[in-house]
Amino acid sequence: MTVVEKLRPRARAASTAWFVSPFAVLLAVWLIAIPAFDVSARTFPSAPAVWSAFVDLATDGDLTSHVLTSLGRVFAGAGIAVVVGVPFGLLMGMSAGLSAFFAPLLRFSVALAGIAWIPLATLWLGYGNNAVVFVVFNAVFFAIVYNSMLGVRQTSTSLLRAARSLGASRWRMFWEIYLPGALPNIVTGARVGLGFAWRGLIAAEIIATSTGLGYTLFLARQYYETDVIILMMILIGILWLIMDRLILAPLERRTVQRWSAERRERA
Amino acid sequence: MTMLSVDQLNQVYVDTYTGEATVAIEDVSFDVPEGQFVSVIGPSGCGKTTVLNIVAGFVDATGGTVRLQGSPVSGPGPDRGVVFQDFALFPWKTVEANIAFGLKTQGVGKVERRAKAQEMIDLVGLTGFEKKYPHELSGGMRQRAGVARVLATEPAIMLMDEPFASVDAQTRRVLQQEVLRIWEQRRTTVLFVTHDVDEAVFMSDRVVVLSPRPSTVRADLSIQIPRPRSWTDMHTNTEFVRIRRELMTMLGVETGVETGSRSAP
Repeated sequence: MTVVEKLRPRARAASTAWFVSPFAVLLAVWLIAIPAFDVSARTFPSAPAVWSAFVDLATDGDLTSHVLTSLGRVFAGAGIAVVVGVPFGLLMGMSAGLSAFFAPLLRFSVALAGIAWIPLATLWLGYGNNAVVFVVFNAVFFAIVYNSMLGVRQTSTSLLRAARSLGASRWRMFWEIYLPGALPNIVTGARVGLGFAWRGLIAAEIIATSTGLGYTLFLARQYYETDVIILMMILIGILWLIMDRLILAPLERRTVQRWSAERRERA
Repeated sequence: MTMLSVDQLNQVYVDTYTGEATVAIEDVSFDVPEGQFVSVIGPSGCGKTTVLNIVAGFVDATGGTVRLQGSPVSGPGPDRGVVFQDFALFPWKTVEANIAFGLKTQGVGKVERRAKAQEMIDLVGLTGFEKKYPHELSGGMRQRAGVARVLATEPAIMLMDEPFASVDAQTRRVLQQEVLRIWEQRRTTVLFVTHDVDEAVFMSDRVVVLSPRPSTVRADLSIQIPRPRSWTDMHTNTEFVRIRRELMTMLGVETGVETGSRSAP
């Protein structure tokens, strides 16, 4: 045990180094290639140009508000999707009738989830926050429902039998057996869903609002500001990674990994 | 008093793909008196686990009745505690929470629950492991927790489905003796399913032998080995040796004839 504990910080440092190194290589290539091939700023910005765009946007205050606006929309949409989608998915997994009825509708909706709803979202909710949040919700919802349902289906028969023979009511089965049993799949669903959430957000912000990272990304195109475009893309990627590492990974560590023998060090 | 009464049990499976019907259980009847330890053995695929699953209420029989203390049972319930071959401990609950789960569903208060769980933990020899998760325990310890979880709710009967099949041979011997030690203290009625002849003879007051599929009761033997029993003197015990040989012959183990048919899905 002590050996493992001593190794842990070092193993963590190593995994962080492995995670950062491809980005470092990419950055180095970027720094060298732009001047070396004399790439014009209209085609692709140089790294220093993106940095100064970052400094400009950050100092005049707009950047923070765009980031916060976009984050707020992702949290709101994804949050509603989790609160509604997890119980719905669990119930579908628990009831053969419910899943038989809704499964075809869910399958039909997969290709349409998220972005395809933007026209209707703007018609129903007007331009602005509500339409964007709706699209994000819609993009996340199906991944959450599907994975929650799968989680219930994959819970072992003997666990369900054990709980029933110990006198568990349906309500208790839901909270103490199906929900924790499905949690590994729910986390997977949330991870997939959050990816969809950001894509939905970018598309919806382009069309339905005049704030946020997606909007800024698209607006920059009109002025050939490739530095701002790349900056926004980098920021969105970083925000997604932070969400994953700060919310999903700890949740996974505290639950799924604590309950099972396999302890994977996530990259 | 008769605790469990299994009467003319019949089970037919219909293959949903071919539409073919398979008779898994032809006609099985036996009684388990209160406080008795009864084993059901038979060749693999004979439907002994199916009998247990029907008694537990996990599977509906095609025909026949199961009565517990005179009233017919349908569906699972806490009056019939089940010990599973794969332990079936909740991975997200600690040993203590697993053992207290049945008490919780019965609405027992937190303080009383904890006291009762601790009593069971001490009884099965898991003291000091209360806060561990199942994956942190060895197979033998997991099954101790499985037994404690069932005994905590004081069921009318404990159903055990090949409970020691997932642990190594040495641990199995230890667990067999441990379960007997606990059973001798509490005298809970037990229905025990196994394919291990030695185990059945060592543990039981009675052994019900099922025939190959479609199964019927082929023999019902009473075992008069005095208790407490221990493995150390068992192989020189004339009663043990005699019954063991009789069962081995009946199951075709010693003649080398495999009487079992392929197991049903």
